[in-house]
Amino acid sequence: MMEVRSLSVAYPNGVKAVEEATLTLSPGKILALVGESGSGKSTLLYACLGLLPRGSKISGKVFFDHLDFLSLPEEEQRQIRWKKASLVLQGTMNAFTPVLTMKRQFVEAMEEHLNLKPADAINRAGELLKEVGLDPKFLFRYPHEISGGQKQRCAIAMALCCNPDYLLADEPTTALDVITQAEIINLLKRIVRQRNMGMLIVTHDLALATSIADKISVMHQSRIVEIASSEEIVNRPKHPHTIDLIRSLSMMEEEH
Amino acid sequence: MIEEIACSEKVTLVFDKKTEAALTNVSFSVKVGESFALVGESGSGKTSLLRLLLGLIEPTKGRVRLFGKSLDEIGHEELRKIRRNCGYISQDPFGGLPPTLTALQAVLEPLVVTHSSLKKDEINKAKTLLSDLGIEESLWNRKLIQGFSGGQRQRIMLARALITDPKLLFADEPTSMQDVSTRWDLVNQLKNYHQRGMSLIFVTHDLLLAKTITQKGIVLYRGLVCEEGPTALLLTDPLHPYTKALSAALPRLGRPIKIKAKRKPLPSSWEGCVYFSLCPYVFDKCKLPPPLKEVKDGRKVACFLY
Repeated sequence: MMEVRSLSVAYPNGVKAVEEATLTLSPGKILALVGESGSGKSTLLYACLGLLPRGSKISGKVFFDHLDFLSLPEEEQRQIRWKKASLVLQGTMNAFTPVLTMKRQFVEAMEEHLNLKPADAINRAGELLKEVGLDPKFLFRYPHEISGGQKQRCAIAMALCCNPDYLLADEPTTALDVITQAEIINLLKRIVRQRNMGMLIVTHDLALATSIADKISVMHQSRIVEIASSEEIVNRPKHPHTIDLIRSLSMMEEEH
Repeated sequence: MIEEIACSEKVTLVFDKKTEAALTNVSFSVKVGESFALVGESGSGKTSLLRLLLGLIEPTKGRVRLFGKSLDEIGHEELRKIRRNCGYISQDPFGGLPPTLTALQAVLEPLVVTHSSLKKDEINKAKTLLSDLGIEESLWNRKLIQGFSGGQRQRIMLARALITDPKLLFADEPTSMQDVSTRWDLVNQLKNYHQRGMSLIFVTHDLLLAKTITQKGIVLYRGLVCEEGPTALLLTDPLHPYTKALSAALPRLGRPIKIKAKRKPLPSSWEGCVYFSLCPYVFDKCKLPPPLKEVKDGRKVACFLY
């Protein structure tokens, strides 16, 4: 179980980005964190992994299976980060180093975190690419030789390389067209099920969230204002902000 | 009074002879007062089509008419005059606005270009547009464009396009960076102007958005028109297998996304249907290119199923 307890974050410039956030995520489940730009959803995600700018003030706790992650020293956090929980970034267009082949980037991550020999790391990377539906030959390409959807698949494969218990994804389908987006969403669902991983997905798209997540937590002005099952959020939203979001979406779906 | 405001006649566009054409034999016509959608995924040719219609690039074959004038028959001066009646919102809000102006200056700039002194009611109109689009008064003069977010820039771009009261607006994915709530500000503003007589050509990959804003449209795949018809029907009763996939892939409230498409390349030097490698319905005939033909109620589809 991943648990966030009363987490608050203030950036070095004093802006309070997250206030008193509490949520839980079980293995095999998908929790979506939904909110508009500036609501604090990405900050919450990065805070869970201790990845905020230096000088940020964090209070509260984050547990990965009873391991109190944020109270660990920085070096220990770094060592277990990819194994306990790994990150799929927003905008993978820029997430890879443009001057290295995918092979080098995969090997680097696995040498660092798993102490694998390069040959073993390459084999493992090939297996991971197969798992996300790509030909292992993609390892020999540079990022610019791969389409947006394929890059996103590579990013997911890389996030899986240390067999994490939890996957944290920040807007993993933004900037992809709807068909590619659907493919990536189906891929994520399959991986979560097959590996019995917990997934926290940050998105601004409530319709997308309701079609992938078991539970949804809605953020508004730095606070989590509602947490409920997707079904509950769609049919019986309680917080005024959630009601507004649902209303503006259903207006589009129904109106002719 | 001309009936048709913009028209593409059998347009083919080839950027590089070694690769496949960006657009192949694309025909459609937009009537005065109509709101028309160009729908398709990235790389399908939507933006190229907009640029052709504005005379920014020239077709390899076929021709384009704007306000009844064939663009290959008129000179640069006349083209400029025609363009004065057009508004354009680029898909890139970072490259599409002058970075060193304030928001208000950026909105007023298209007027400054046409006449030197601004009237008071023009300045007021710019302010109303900005505030209707959710750009607060405190941001009008103090902040330069470079300090605005992508979503805010898109809204400034819309205000800048509407300030001249264009007869025809070209909008290229104008809401791609908006949240649900601010997206409505843009959609409503577009609809307002459309109801007051402005024609609109709207580019998007989102059929739901297309349906909300436009009445008619075409669906493009790899530079070919695969379906044409009322956008509400493209969403709810798609004919072409690709349109079906586009509709099924849309996330809708509380419904799982239904799509099984696997990307496979087309056989080399393929001359048949461009959707062949993805289509769940293929049969022998599909080795030939399907013609775009009328099926019912003015709907057209390029598929041998019909």
